[in-house]
Amino acid sequence: MKKTPLLVILALLLILPLVVEDVNFQHVMLMMLIFAGLGEAWNIITGFAGQTSFGHAAFFGIGAYTSTVLFYKFNVSPWIGMILGALFAGIVAFLVSYPCFRLKGHYFAIATLAVAEIIKQLFVSWDYVEGATGISIPVVPDSFWAMQFHRSKIPYVLIAYGLFVFVLFVAVAIERNKMGYYLKAIRESHEAAEALGINTARYKLLAMIVSSMLTALFGTLYAQYILYIDPFMVFGLDVSMKIVLLTVLGGLGSVYGPIIGAAILIPLSEYTRTLLGGTGKGIDLMIYGILIVIVVVFEPRGILGLLRKRSRRRLNYGKSNA
Amino acid sequence: MRKLLAVLVVLLSFVVMAQEVIKIGAIFPLTGAAAATGVKIKYAVEVAQEIINGVYPEINLSLAKSAGLPNLNGAKVQFVFADHQGNPELAMAEAERLIRNEKVVALIGCYQSSCTKPASQIAEKYGIPFVAGSSSSAALTERGLKWFFRIAPHDGMETVFFFNYLRYLNEKYNANIKRVAVVYIDNEYGVHAALMVKEKIKDFPEFSLVADVKYPVSATNVDIEVQKIKAAKPDAIFHASYIGDMTMFVKKYKEFNVVPKVVLSYCGGYQDPQFVVNLGKDADYFAGTNATTPALFAKMPILSKINEMYKAKSGVDIDGPTLEDFASALVIAEAINIAGTTEPEKILEVLKTHTFEAPYFVSEKIKFGPDGQNIYSASVMTQIFNGVYEAVWPEQYQTHEPVPQFPDWKKR
Repeated sequence: MKKTPLLVILALLLILPLVVEDVNFQHVMLMMLIFAGLGEAWNIITGFAGQTSFGHAAFFGIGAYTSTVLFYKFNVSPWIGMILGALFAGIVAFLVSYPCFRLKGHYFAIATLAVAEIIKQLFVSWDYVEGATGISIPVVPDSFWAMQFHRSKIPYVLIAYGLFVFVLFVAVAIERNKMGYYLKAIRESHEAAEALGINTARYKLLAMIVSSMLTALFGTLYAQYILYIDPFMVFGLDVSMKIVLLTVLGGLGSVYGPIIGAAILIPLSEYTRTLLGGTGKGIDLMIYGILIVIVVVFEPRGILGLLRKRSRRRLNYGKSNA
Repeated sequence: MRKLLAVLVVLLSFVVMAQEVIKIGAIFPLTGAAAATGVKIKYAVEVAQEIINGVYPEINLSLAKSAGLPNLNGAKVQFVFADHQGNPELAMAEAERLIRNEKVVALIGCYQSSCTKPASQIAEKYGIPFVAGSSSSAALTERGLKWFFRIAPHDGMETVFFFNYLRYLNEKYNANIKRVAVVYIDNEYGVHAALMVKEKIKDFPEFSLVADVKYPVSATNVDIEVQKIKAAKPDAIFHASYIGDMTMFVKKYKEFNVVPKVVLSYCGGYQDPQFVVNLGKDADYFAGTNATTPALFAKMPILSKINEMYKAKSGVDIDGPTLEDFASALVIAEAINIAGTTEPEKILEVLKTHTFEAPYFVSEKIKFGPDGQNIYSASVMTQIFNGVYEAVWPEQYQTHEPVPQFPDWKKR
């Protein structure tokens, strides 16, 4: 695997928000890092193992709620909440996926969608976590321990960057490890993988648990950044779809996919909204939608597929048929 | 002479150009699920901007008589609109962008309480005023924020308004209302309203709560609930329901022939004009609180003029939430004018101490209490007669006498 392009991207992602002082730009970079990280996490179960999940918002929300409730009710540091949130998300992924993995293809995708909606409804009607009202996270002075920074966004950006690099590292490690080959074998043919002696159920489950735990980490950061959560914003279908969309747009099954997808979709949606959103005509959303349609129609393998076609140079990882 | 005029015109235009434009951020759901409302609110805020910046001697509002803000050398006000799509994350990001990049001196918004929460926290962080018009969640003013103000009454105030109205009916019409039931949807809105009924009824000892009926958000059948209500024989029913479930309840009231004396609705399904469309004659005699109703336009000339300007843009009459957001735009502009500066601390001082004129509301005034809540309930009790929302209380705004008895459903 060639490391140079990845290292260049990583360096750029770190330096850009540090040198540009515009808060709006920093916000865009932060969202980009969060969603690129979410895309990487989702890629593990969907891109590598071929099990389409439309319900990753569930794990994102569990991460957000675990740290928020612990901080709000018991004054526990969101850092501890973040780790516990990841554990909870892993447990939920285990409990939910075990029966769902009996389903294949579209049925699995629909099941994940349904499970995420069920979890959302549970939180809407759960009084202990303030139900539909949502929780306003108590504002405290800037503190690393409380993961709250009001004077500058840079600490949030650095945390997001750290999480993103960690998720990327895990994704690359899995891809290069035998687990990565097993998962890709499962993706290409479930039966053939079993015939080769791969314990498909076990590896799919493992991929789902890792993916969900990584997703939950970002939920905590997101909650600490917005300082308010309610079930609709963290468990919403929007979150699941955004993850799917940007990964597919960038290129499924490669570590570059979510980075490219996030680098295009997040600034596009943010800047078209700030430029045109105030008109109230929804032009920003139309442009956003049209671009996605164009990419999907002309190059279903995403922008990465487009780039590969252009350069006629095959990157030596990613989808084998690219 | 002509030359002199030309020079004057040039000079004047320089003066106009040199004038400061004061930017105020307006964050609303211009797309997404609540887009229809958001766009209506945008029209109303544009009307407010026209009134502030133009000269309208026929409208008796202090900012209508002169162009721009007189205490700031006629500086013009510009509302910079931003779209949060109903997403709290975007509301927060837009608030920060408007403050940092657009240099707005104050914010208004955001219709949905879930978006107003994070956006107003940003205003708090930067120390600039945030005036919310229609966001009604009681939690908003319970956060102890220094820079947050809200015009719409919350459900606690609505509840007191309901009990005072019942008291009025008993005194004036001998309605003999004693037994109260509360029927509510199982979400924040409903549960909080019911909580307020249980709390406020203590201050009105002549009433007793005889039924507390909660129904699920996705209810498709309310037979059991309606039977419970019927068995409790309430004189008054308080409803915290949305349009779909409210319609369902009315149909069942008819089926089971439930005939209370009054049914009062919190801001929700009853206030939606669709209520009358859905139910026709069956919608008659239901009542609830509205910030305004078209029946009032004849009695309130300023409101009528505002509505005329609004209707020219939107094609429909101004409704309650829209009027509340319109008020938020006028109030913040007036606060800046009285402060005579855009310095946040000075504007804050005015917002905290001044009583603002609001002749377009039946309460006629807006004054913020220590928690930032408008202490005057900008509401009027309306009751539907022949498909029209008539104002029935307070008395000086009455367009129709209240009827404190439902007729038998079979005799309608």
